[in-house]
Amino acid sequence: MIYKVRHATQMTYAAPVAAARYNLRLQPATWSGQRMRDYLLTVNPAPARSTNNSGPYWVVTTQIEFNRPLRELELVSEFTMEVDPPLEGQRGPSLDVLREQVLAARDLTPLAPAPYLFASRIAVPSTDIAAWAARHVPAGAGVVEVASAIMTAIAQEFDYRPGATTSATPPSEAFAARAGVCQDFSHVMIIALRAQGIPAAYASGYLRTVPPPGKERLVGADAMHAWVNVWCGKDLGWIGFDPTNACLVHDDHIQIGMGRDYADVSPIDGTFLGSAPQTMVTSVDVRVV
Amino acid sequence: MGSGAHGSAAAMDPLPQYAPPDPAADIFAAADPSQQASWRAFAAGLAAQGQGKLSELQPHIDHHVEDLGLAFRLTGDEHERAWPLNPMPIFIGATEWAGIEAGLVQRANLLEAVLADIYGPQQLVADGHLPAAVVSGSGGFARRMVGMRPPGGHFLHIYAVDLARGPAGEWRVLADRAQLTIGLGFALENRLAMTRATGGLLASIGTRRLTPFFDALRQGLAADCERAEPRIGILTPGRFNQSYPEQAHLARHLGFSLVEGRDLTVNDGRLYVRTIAGLKRIDALWRWIKTRDSDPLNFDARSQIGVPGLIDAAAHGLVLANWPGAGVIESRAMPAFLPRLSRILFNEPLRLPNAATWWCGGESERAQVLARLDELVISSAFRLPVAGLPDGHTRVGRLLSSAEREQIVAGMALRPMDYTAQEIVSLSTTPIVSGDRFEPRGFTLRAFLARNGEGQWVALPGGFARVSEHGDLRTSLMGLGDISTDVCILDPSPIAPGIAAGPANQAPRRDLGLLPSQAADNLYWLGRYGERAHQIVRIVRTLIEQVGAANERDEAFSTVQRLADLLRGLGAVPPVSTSWQPSRIAAAALSDSKREGSVRGLAASGRQIALLLRDRLTRDSWRAIHRPLPAKLPEDFERIAVLCDDLVERFAAIARLTADGMSRGAAWHFLDMGLCIERASIVLQAVRPLTGGTASSDDLAALLDLVDAQTLYRSRYLASPTLAPVIDLVMLDPAHPRCFAYQVVQIEQHLASLPDRRDDGMLEQPLRLARQLIARIEAVDADGVNEAFVAGLQAALAQLSNAIASRYFLHAEPPSTRETASFLG
Repeated sequence: MIYKVRHATQMTYAAPVAAARYNLRLQPATWSGQRMRDYLLTVNPAPARSTNNSGPYWVVTTQIEFNRPLRELELVSEFTMEVDPPLEGQRGPSLDVLREQVLAARDLTPLAPAPYLFASRIAVPSTDIAAWAARHVPAGAGVVEVASAIMTAIAQEFDYRPGATTSATPPSEAFAARAGVCQDFSHVMIIALRAQGIPAAYASGYLRTVPPPGKERLVGADAMHAWVNVWCGKDLGWIGFDPTNACLVHDDHIQIGMGRDYADVSPIDGTFLGSAPQTMVTSVDVRVV
Repeated sequence: MGSGAHGSAAAMDPLPQYAPPDPAADIFAAADPSQQASWRAFAAGLAAQGQGKLSELQPHIDHHVEDLGLAFRLTGDEHERAWPLNPMPIFIGATEWAGIEAGLVQRANLLEAVLADIYGPQQLVADGHLPAAVVSGSGGFARRMVGMRPPGGHFLHIYAVDLARGPAGEWRVLADRAQLTIGLGFALENRLAMTRATGGLLASIGTRRLTPFFDALRQGLAADCERAEPRIGILTPGRFNQSYPEQAHLARHLGFSLVEGRDLTVNDGRLYVRTIAGLKRIDALWRWIKTRDSDPLNFDARSQIGVPGLIDAAAHGLVLANWPGAGVIESRAMPAFLPRLSRILFNEPLRLPNAATWWCGGESERAQVLARLDELVISSAFRLPVAGLPDGHTRVGRLLSSAEREQIVAGMALRPMDYTAQEIVSLSTTPIVSGDRFEPRGFTLRAFLARNGEGQWVALPGGFARVSEHGDLRTSLMGLGDISTDVCILDPSPIAPGIAAGPANQAPRRDLGLLPSQAADNLYWLGRYGERAHQIVRIVRTLIEQVGAANERDEAFSTVQRLADLLRGLGAVPPVSTSWQPSRIAAAALSDSKREGSVRGLAASGRQIALLLRDRLTRDSWRAIHRPLPAKLPEDFERIAVLCDDLVERFAAIARLTADGMSRGAAWHFLDMGLCIERASIVLQAVRPLTGGTASSDDLAALLDLVDAQTLYRSRYLASPTLAPVIDLVMLDPAHPRCFAYQVVQIEQHLASLPDRRDDGMLEQPLRLARQLIARIEAVDADGVNEAFVAGLQAALAQLSNAIASRYFLHAEPPSTRETASFLG
């Protein structure tokens, strides 16, 4: 499948802000099964400085810096991406074997399992989530089945309800309310899996907007989407699970980056002197070519 | 020793009665006789100083501790606590110390090599010597720093380590501290307090001095900087931080600038401090902020105390001590691997063992730990809450309930990497003063290392010991009920006093230091608050005297009214006070704790600001500022008058001590400008109601009183006060130091001495306004000083004050940090 993606963000400030610097995490990092054909980032007004770094997690960070006051900022990220469907029917090792493989992996790079095994800023361990997850782990199952079971449990027990949470709501609150959006579902799933000793990462990206003929439109299209990448052993590596749509990540998902939680891949953050934007308008368009 | 009939000191030696339960496990009792002699000599000196009563010493020490402003906070404390210091130090012999020092230097080099690998090639992980999870699990690991090399190549500049001395005299490392080396300032101040409290006692025994260590530290930081004469700052989280007082002490002792994140800015990859002379480049920062809070752009976007772009500056040559991410080695799991890493990296065993540690992420280690749980302590490897250890604290295995034990076993089955276990370390004891005797207590030592100008490690000779009867000695600084004691290294040939270490041919300098805008602002307001409090006391005193006079002459009542109006105008008493008796007005103006404008309120504001200026105030002015006002006021006029005299003297003394302790540089200019502006403004407020021609001779006498010019007036004029001569003396005579004209001239001179930032040859705005004011005063005589003229001066003075603020002080609000809620589906 080939997609053309256009993600535009427009911010307006009530009063000009000074010394503005932003981290943009909009450019897709390479990912197996995805091939990017072109990429264009347009920043208006043009920044005084712009640098591109990969990392610190599996993400491309563009840092932009302005040396004059800013009243408006427009960001347009556009690219064409070819996406292959993943292999299906994998089982993965048992959890005991998986835990051994995790600790035996001599790798600290952003694609290794070890970085995604521990508490992170937003995905804070919770005894409630851990106890809930333990009830959904089928005995003797392989890791893919375990992750699917937890994903399905979230999809069934939680209400998809935009507005129930904000981007600052801690996952434990979304869990207590059993409601939220893709970000909350993904964080809860990450915490649940890590409690079992399974490395789990937060993936950010997009969904195709127009469903294939005869199929339902997926939830979360026309916006940025989030799901969970699970490390399924040294042979399978990372596999994507989408708890919002209760499905394995297929060629409907286009990944931008992967981090320990939202904070590592948040599309825009930064600092400036002045007050927060008055308005912020985002539009996402994902077209099949 | 001990029974000499003549040696009075020996006769008073209280140590013979000291009876530790296990003498072999006591650092004093097990020391060789020559070292014991030093302990005894010191103990005898203490006893002599307390005239036989050891308990007399503690208040004496406490007094010096308070004088030094030594204080700290426990987590959650609203107010600072006094630092608890015991009078009896611990003495360690030079040979024993040499062994410890060599072990610590080896360990520091090892940790440096481990850091260089983790943030570089990661070969130790690839070869299986260091598990990836031990690195990624550590809260101190900063992935952002992977691939970056520190300028000068040093990940560590300053390193602290907690040591325990076992019952057989063997030293072991309990914990490594590379992120924040808390306690170094306290070690320094402990020594200062001890030296002051015990006179020449320490020197007479022959102990190593601490100063060379701090010189080495300074040179070590400077050596890695690009510029030959680098500017070095201490980055503090601010005055509410647990160890802010020690940060301020270190800044003052080392001559570094104490800066907060909002004082700093990064432009084009360089770090600058905002000063009154514009942006000044900083070459090195000793950070007292955790890595994750240090840069909201590169680490936690929510940080309000960091510097956006700090890491970009580090990538362009800024020296950061320690390098961000150095804290990765602080994880409790790391010591399990250090013996092996030492053999692999250096081909040598650890000279100084750590307490034996097992990381449960390894299968055989896990089995061992579970089998021997009763003999071990169990910890959360990365200090986070884990199953069975919900607060992340260390627990003694045999004290766990069976339910807790089950939780730990179950938790370990799912997440074994979250647990470590350590052998139980017994501590040897040391004699401390308790009441009138010496008692044995277990202790741990916090030692400190720094790199010198050649990049070599040197150890602080000593450190501070923590003594605790109960509780966990592994917390970061002090626990509730802990006490500290100085640790001295005995040296028969200490460096001769008076010979300062350092570069032999260092040229003398008169650099007045850079003045951050923030500090200028604080100094200015310290000057203003101090002077206002001083003036309000004077007004109250005059008011009381006038009330006395009013009993004889009715017209004095109107003077009392005018003085009360003046107090209301200054905000010292509330507007409703028009119906109050003069006694109530006087009491409220002095002591209403709910009113910011009362003397008590102003003194409190002054103390708050002084906290921020801790690195710039001398010990004497610090102490004077912090002496509390009397809690209860006398009720009769006569005694209030006596108190006023007292307070006038006190505020004058504070102003004098503070000014005298400062070099006549920018800091002093701002302090004195604050004082002058305040004094000028109060004179105008006092004069304005008297310009209408209705002033009585009592009014004029009161006015002369306020500006302390009664005597001067009488020496010039024989008659009782009349308007024109009084106005001339109070407003126009530039030779009288409380006169309005004098203040304006002083302000003009201060402004003219400050750095000029304009490059077009024009005057800076504050200086121009000050000269306009002088011209107005010079162009008028006493008859011209009417109400409109004074009102005009008041407006001009306010304009000048605003111009000073906008030219020299910080205005930027702290940076907003923002994460976008990006309409997630």
